[in-house]
Amino acid sequence: MKTLLICPSSRPAVAHIAEFGPLATAPILGDCIAGHWIEHLTALGARQIQVLVADGEDQVRLAVGDGARWGVRISVVAANFEPTKKEAGDRYRPDGEPGWLPAPNDVVLLSHLPGNPGLPLFESYASWFSALIAWMPLALTPARVRVKEVRPGIWIGSRARVSPAAKLVAPCWVGDQVTVEAGAVVGAGTILEDRTVVGGNSVVTQSWVGPDTFVGPMTSVTNSLAWGSTLIDWRTDSLLHVPDSFLLGSLAKAQSAATTDRFGRALIEKGTPDSKAALITAFSTRAGCTPNLKLPG
Amino acid sequence: MKIESQGECLSISEIHELTAQNSAHFRDEVQAALKGSPAVIEINLSKTRFMDSSGLGALFALYRATAQSPGVILRLLNPMPEIQQLLELTQMQQLFEIVRR
Repeated sequence: MKTLLICPSSRPAVAHIAEFGPLATAPILGDCIAGHWIEHLTALGARQIQVLVADGEDQVRLAVGDGARWGVRISVVAANFEPTKKEAGDRYRPDGEPGWLPAPNDVVLLSHLPGNPGLPLFESYASWFSALIAWMPLALTPARVRVKEVRPGIWIGSRARVSPAAKLVAPCWVGDQVTVEAGAVVGAGTILEDRTVVGGNSVVTQSWVGPDTFVGPMTSVTNSLAWGSTLIDWRTDSLLHVPDSFLLGSLAKAQSAATTDRFGRALIEKGTPDSKAALITAFSTRAGCTPNLKLPG
Repeated sequence: MKIESQGECLSISEIHELTAQNSAHFRDEVQAALKGSPAVIEINLSKTRFMDSSGLGALFALYRATAQSPGVILRLLNPMPEIQQLLELTQMQQLFEIVRR
């Protein structure tokens, strides 16, 4: 059976997610949007999948490969612009040709996750977050063996490291190779994508943290989308590029993050009064900034 | 940066950014103004577009200084959304009274 996937091009409402790559490759619960769809369509019987891409053809090709991962044949086709479903169907799906999945799975626009057409991904950051939270219980498919539901509503990657002194509140998703340090709270409605590090005594709740992101010790990420140093409040669309990577940053700067994390932990363990501000000052100094805070006493 | 003293209220405004570049100056100026023993200190952040950890450190220094004077009220006025986010990320919004007017 054949099917046609249309990758979304730009969506101004979620422009900052697209800064990391084509929307079709945006990470969601351990896979990309295209990956979730291909797995779903494969389960429905698709064996030949054409992927139409207007932006980021190479990155999409890299993400989906030739389809061997799913046991299907995938061809990525470059388009000059994002076609509508009708335009794509008219061009690539000849009328009456047999061997196509029945509608609506014959031509699919990757604007929502499988089975959730009422929850669009790209209308706003809030809609993105809502769609991901709704998808959380559905994301653990038989093919996804690196994540297990360890307690009702708590999914953890098999290579994740969660401190016994951390607290997880259902529903939450802790992806593969994630580290959650002592004293951290992963609250209800939280998704930590793969290889995230959540520092000690920090709080992450009602938030999505993108892959390879460092959430610094004693920070609080609430009602937000955090990816690298980008922090978006999904309720207000307010955007902050966090200037200090020991608070929030990309693990592409792994050495710096690890160093500051160790240093921060030492301060916390020392039990300094008002240690959060002491931490800020100390890191400012370490980062070569002007030491500008004289703590009384 | 503008520092005005009106009665018992010390008002600090026109702060366009609070970073490693100017936080020492901010701290020194405000510390000098505190010698007038104001009862209310208002820091207007409505024009502050950028703040880093040095800026947060300067605010915390002010918090510590006023915490030693019982009855002194310290307020942050109208922080822009991204500054509010930074205060929430560092949990410093718990230390300050944040007022929108």
